[in-house]
Amino acid sequence: MSLLTVEHLTMRFGGLVAVDDVGFAAEEGRITALIGPNGAGKTTVFNCLTGFYKPDTGRLALRADGREHLLERLDDFRVASEAKVARTFQNIRIFPQMSVLENLMVAQHNRLMRASGYTLLGLVGAGRFRVAERAAVDRATYWLDRVGLTDRADVDAGTLPYGGQRRLEIARAMCTEPVLLCLDEPAAGLNPRESAELNALLTFIKAVHRIGILLIEHDMSVVMGISDHIVVLDHGAKISEGPPDFVRNDPAVIRAYLGEEEAEDG
Amino acid sequence: MTAGTLAERGAAFLPTALKEAGIAAGIALLLALPLVGARTVSEGSAFVVTPRIVELALGVAFVFAGRLAIASLRGGHHLPVIVGALAVAALGWRFALPSAFLGVVAIAGGLAVACIGAIGLLRARRDEIPAVARIDTAGLLRQALGWLGPALIALAIVLPFLPFADRRLMDIAILVLTYVMLGWGLNIVVGLAGLLDLGYVAFYAVGAYSYALIAREFGLDFWSCLPLAGVFAAFFGIILGFPVLRLRGDYLAIVTLGFGEMIRIILLNWYNFTGGPDGISGVPRPTFFGLPFKRAPPEGVESFHQFLGIDYASIHRTYFLYFLVLALALITNAFTLRIRRLPIGRAWEALREDEIACRSLGINPTNTKLTAFAIGAMFGGFAGSFFATRQGFISPESFTFIESAIILAIVVLGGMGSQIGVVLAALVLIGLPEFFRELHEYRMLAFGACMVLITVWRPRGLLASRDPMIRLSRRRARP
Ligand SMILES: Nc1ncnc2c1ncn2[C@@H]1O[C@H](COP(=O)(O)OP(=O)(O)OP(=O)(O)O)[C@@H](O)[C@H]1O
Ligand SMILES: [Mg+2]
Repeated sequence: MSLLTVEHLTMRFGGLVAVDDVGFAAEEGRITALIGPNGAGKTTVFNCLTGFYKPDTGRLALRADGREHLLERLDDFRVASEAKVARTFQNIRIFPQMSVLENLMVAQHNRLMRASGYTLLGLVGAGRFRVAERAAVDRATYWLDRVGLTDRADVDAGTLPYGGQRRLEIARAMCTEPVLLCLDEPAAGLNPRESAELNALLTFIKAVHRIGILLIEHDMSVVMGISDHIVVLDHGAKISEGPPDFVRNDPAVIRAYLGEEEAEDG
Repeated sequence: MTAGTLAERGAAFLPTALKEAGIAAGIALLLALPLVGARTVSEGSAFVVTPRIVELALGVAFVFAGRLAIASLRGGHHLPVIVGALAVAALGWRFALPSAFLGVVAIAGGLAVACIGAIGLLRARRDEIPAVARIDTAGLLRQALGWLGPALIALAIVLPFLPFADRRLMDIAILVLTYVMLGWGLNIVVGLAGLLDLGYVAFYAVGAYSYALIAREFGLDFWSCLPLAGVFAAFFGIILGFPVLRLRGDYLAIVTLGFGEMIRIILLNWYNFTGGPDGISGVPRPTFFGLPFKRAPPEGVESFHQFLGIDYASIHRTYFLYFLVLALALITNAFTLRIRRLPIGRAWEALREDEIACRSLGINPTNTKLTAFAIGAMFGGFAGSFFATRQGFISPESFTFIESAIILAIVVLGGMGSQIGVVLAALVLIGLPEFFRELHEYRMLAFGACMVLITVWRPRGLLASRDPMIRLSRRRARP
């Protein structure tokens, strides 16, 4: 059974069908890309998966800790805390006035809350909490090293350059120890060097941490370079699916992208 | 800067500056004509309108001068402005102007403009000063703040033993500390969790009435009632918070505003229980851990002065109240500082920054906000029971909306989330007006002026800089 199975997902906004009966699967240790022209409904799929939208129909099953979670029934924060799905946002959402390290500590909130006896043990400075906090800082340090922000750990996150903020958001998502990581256009606004570093980072996460990655991306060099499986959406519907080489040459995909370009030109 | 360009600039600048000042003065004249220019006095049974030409003229002249000063400063003419402003201040000081208010405007306004001019002059000359001699103001401020906290605490502890600590000063100090404590309590809700609470005084009232009612009905003393009052207030915080914390920003503010009024109106109308507008009198005064502060204690009870074998003095109780509220306030502060290092405190701040991101990280926003609300309410409750024991009498009149507004102003002006900012703001907003009772009429005016100045110059509050509560570098530096 797959890590994530999406079946018959439909989401309407008034009369607009943003996602139309879409189904796909994502596997552990693989990168599944979700591509499509602007307004195809990619972000809406993410919002349904992570509980921010309640889909009209559909079954979103995720296997974590040997249990099956039906994501469409969970509140947004439960999707993260119980089903262990982490995400980033198309418009970066970091905590700008907290330090980089604090951003990563917030991501470990639930674990630290339990260790601090829901604050009571923490108030008296119990040893158990101190141990947990040190472990949390170590985990944060590990991810800071991976994304190359270690020497910026104590500055306000809002002062990081754009690329740094994108990487911080990924590090923060990883600090929640997810089984599925959903990235909404992580390469948007990055220069070619940063984009290549992102490829390396995602490949590392996939290879070493063996979690599933769901990736929305417009940058074809990223998508074609690192994805194992690609799902193509257009006007809310799935028009193609398969390995990169197949999707690249699929006439339906070419038509969707070219059609859009023609419309822009005209 | 060469003399030629200066002269050119001067030539172009004077007419525009005069024009600006003229327009401002014209508007001031229009506004002031009905408000200031005519005064109705009752003479016997009839109202007579008497003109106030001098006041009107002076007011308009001040507006003209002020606007001219602003324009000149912008034009880079610092020195003439400084001299002129000092002259105006000196005139206001030397001659009795027709109203005290105009005097205040002349002195304070003149000095303020002179200060701004001096700062501008220093800024303009900065390039000519060698880099070594330049002052790193930000660094100095940071250092000073590090010292300020401990220094203020030390001062607060020795204050009653200082020679000038008379009754009046102690009363003002107690009042200021009560507001500091309320400010710190509200800071948890507004400053840390970012929940705009316009009805904080409700929890203050719940604390005060809990103490008064429990003491009256069950005869418990202050020390048993204090925790109970805190628990009751926290309970009310949860009851209110549960339905409304889903609301965002402005909506939350409006609902909390309504809640604050609701509590006050219930207290006002539930006559049998709360005494309505008559309030509750005879609230038990605090005891020094069982020893009352009384000249003649009841049979079988030893009073404080008898226990220590000293003469009775009514100021002993004032001193005790002072140390009591100081201790309560310091506990609030220590608690806040501690909880900011814990996951819950971090989650509050994160929620203030971005709630959606918090949800995506698995933080339950409702529960997290609810704890902030309840803990803030609890400290409000503690402060309320202190208020009740200090006054000995409480009535709904003490818990009006203006109290919420003042506490909120202390938090916002101090700098959201800044502990020491709250102290400074409480000193300015509560302490100064108490000291200068003569200017009491202008208190609200000064209040408004402070608000405007702060929002213009330091929109994030007096001391808004925030240091991270956990650092990597220090850990790394350690072997
Ligand atoms: N909350 C909403 N309310 C109404 N319409 C929405 C909402 N969210 C998305 N839509 C609409 O749904 C459609 C799909 O939007 P979505 O953001 O999922 O596209 P996308 O594939 O992520 O596009 P992009 O590449 O530009 O990010 C768009 O037409 C959008 O206007
Ligand atoms: Mg999108």
